[in-house]
Amino acid sequence: MDNLKVSTEELSYEYPFSKKKALNNISLSIFSGESVGIIGRNGSGKSTLCFALTGLVPSFFGGKRTGRVLIDGVDVLQMSKEKLVRKVGLVLQNPFSQISGAKTTVFEEVAFGLENLGIERDEMVERIEKVLKRFNLWEKRTQNPFELSGGQLQRLAIASTIALEPEILILDEPTSQLDPQGTTEVFEVLSELKKSGMTIIIVEHKFEKLVEYVDKLIFLHDGSLVGYGKPEEIFSMREIDIYNVGEPVYTTLCKNIDVKNTHGNYPVHFNESVELLKGVFQKDDR
Amino acid sequence: MKSISLYVEKDTFIHKLEPVTKLWYAFTSVLLTFILPSLWMGILFLLFSLLLSISGRVLKNMIAFISAVIVISLTMLVIQGMFYKDNSTIVFTFGSLKFYKEGLIHATLLIVRVLNMIISFGILILTTRPSDMVTNLVQKGLSPRIGYVLSSVLQIIPQMLSTASTIIDAQRARGLETEGSLVQKLRAFFALIGPLVLSSLVEARERAIAIEMRGFGISMRQTHVSVILEGKVDRVLKFVIKLVLLIALTWRVVSWII
Repeated sequence: MDNLKVSTEELSYEYPFSKKKALNNISLSIFSGESVGIIGRNGSGKSTLCFALTGLVPSFFGGKRTGRVLIDGVDVLQMSKEKLVRKVGLVLQNPFSQISGAKTTVFEEVAFGLENLGIERDEMVERIEKVLKRFNLWEKRTQNPFELSGGQLQRLAIASTIALEPEILILDEPTSQLDPQGTTEVFEVLSELKKSGMTIIIVEHKFEKLVEYVDKLIFLHDGSLVGYGKPEEIFSMREIDIYNVGEPVYTTLCKNIDVKNTHGNYPVHFNESVELLKGVFQKDDR
Repeated sequence: MKSISLYVEKDTFIHKLEPVTKLWYAFTSVLLTFILPSLWMGILFLLFSLLLSISGRVLKNMIAFISAVIVISLTMLVIQGMFYKDNSTIVFTFGSLKFYKEGLIHATLLIVRVLNMIISFGILILTTRPSDMVTNLVQKGLSPRIGYVLSSVLQIIPQMLSTASTIIDAQRARGLETEGSLVQKLRAFFALIGPLVLSSLVEARERAIAIEMRGFGISMRQTHVSVILEGKVDRVLKFVIKLVLLIALTWRVVSWII
C-alpha cells in the first residue's frame, strides 16, 4: 500500500450551464491496494468525483475542470482512452443500463469490452471463463443478460469490468437498486477483489456494509472535501451530524450514550460496538 | 426479457451457412426477378426459394404470412387483369367485367416477385440469429458502431416495452384510466410518454457511459469472441450467386444496347 495510485490536486469542476461548482478544490491521495469509500448527502459531488477520476469529467459531460486528476502520476486527460480503460473500471448504480444491450448471452456480454480492446480470442475466452467462474455466473453463460436478476446483473457488470483487468475499480452506488441478497452478493465480490490487491473506490449509502470493507472514507459536502480518513474518524466528526449524512446504526447507538473507543472515536463496526456497550452495561450493573 | 428475433432453432444445412451467404442469396434472388422480367424466371426463383425454405424447415413458419400476402395479392389480379395499360387479349368475362391475358400475366409476375421476396428474406431471418448476422457483417467490415446500433435496437426495444408496461401499471395504481374513450386513451398516452422518454434518456446516458468505459469507440482493430466462419460451401455459393448476378446484369445491359 505504499505506491500512490490516484491523486487529485486542487480539483474543481463545473457542469455545463451551471455556475455552481460540483467539485471544489479537492486534493487527496489514494494508495495502491486501498479501499476507499465516498460518502455525503445527495448532490455533494460523489458521482461527479467518480466521473472525474475516470476522466469522464469533463471529456464526456463537458463543463470546466481545473486542477488535476493523476493516475500513476499521469493526468487522466493526457491518457489515451485505451490506456484509461485498461487502468480504471467503472460500475454504475443501475444494473440494467450497464449492460451493453448488444449481446444476447452473458458470455458475449463479458466479451464486449475485450473485443473493443482488441484482445486476442484465445485470451478473451480464458479471461471470460475466469471471471464468470469467479463471480458465480458460469452456469448462466448462455442466458440472455436481461433475464438475470438485479444482483446477478450487477455481478455481471462488475465481471465485465474486471475482465478488462483494470488496476482501479470505481463503483458508484453499486447496490442502491438491489435487495439485501443482491447487496450481499456484490459485497462478497468486492471483498474478494480487495483481497486480490485491487484499488477500489466506492460510493455507498449502506454504511454498515461499507465500513466493514473500506480502509478510508472521503466525506464530501457541496462539492468540498470535509474529511478524509479512517471510517471511525470520519463518523466521529461533528459535520456528520451537522450535514445530516447518516452513519452506521451502531455508531448512532454509541453516540447517543456517548461511548467512544480508546482512540476517542465512536465505533463503526458491530463487534467493536458490542464490546464497548458490554463494558458500559457491566459497569452500570456493578 | 427476450430480444426481438424470429430465429427458428433447427439443425439444417441452411442454418449452418454463413449469414452473409444467405444475405447475398436474398438480395440476388429478389434482384434477378426484376433483372430477368420473364414470368417463368420469376417462378423458377420462387420455386428455388421454396425449396430452400423446405430444406431449412422454416416454410411452416412463413405459411401464415404468405397466405395473407396471397389474399391481398388477389386484388392485384383483379385490377391489373382489367386495367393494365397493355391489355388487348380477353381471356374471360365476368358479367360486364372483362379480364385480359396481358394484365393477368403482369399481375402474376408481380405476385411471384413479392412471394419470392418474402420467402428469400424469410429464409435469411428465420435461419439466422440477429446477433450472428451483425457479428458477421462487422467481421466483413461494417462499422462496429453501426453494428452496435443494429444489435442494441433488437434488445433495447423489448426492454423499453417492459418499462412502458411498468409505467402504465404505476399510473393505473394512481387512478389513471387507460381504457375507455379516445380522449381518455390520449390522456393516458401523455401520462405514459413523459416518464418513458425521460427514463429512456437517463438509461441511454448511463449506458453510453458504461460502454465508453468498456472501450467502445476506441479506434483500434476489434476482435470477436463469436467467430462466424466462412466455409468452403459458403465460398462456392457466394461465387455462384455473384456469377449469376453478373451474367444477368450483363445480359440486361447488352439487351438494352442491342
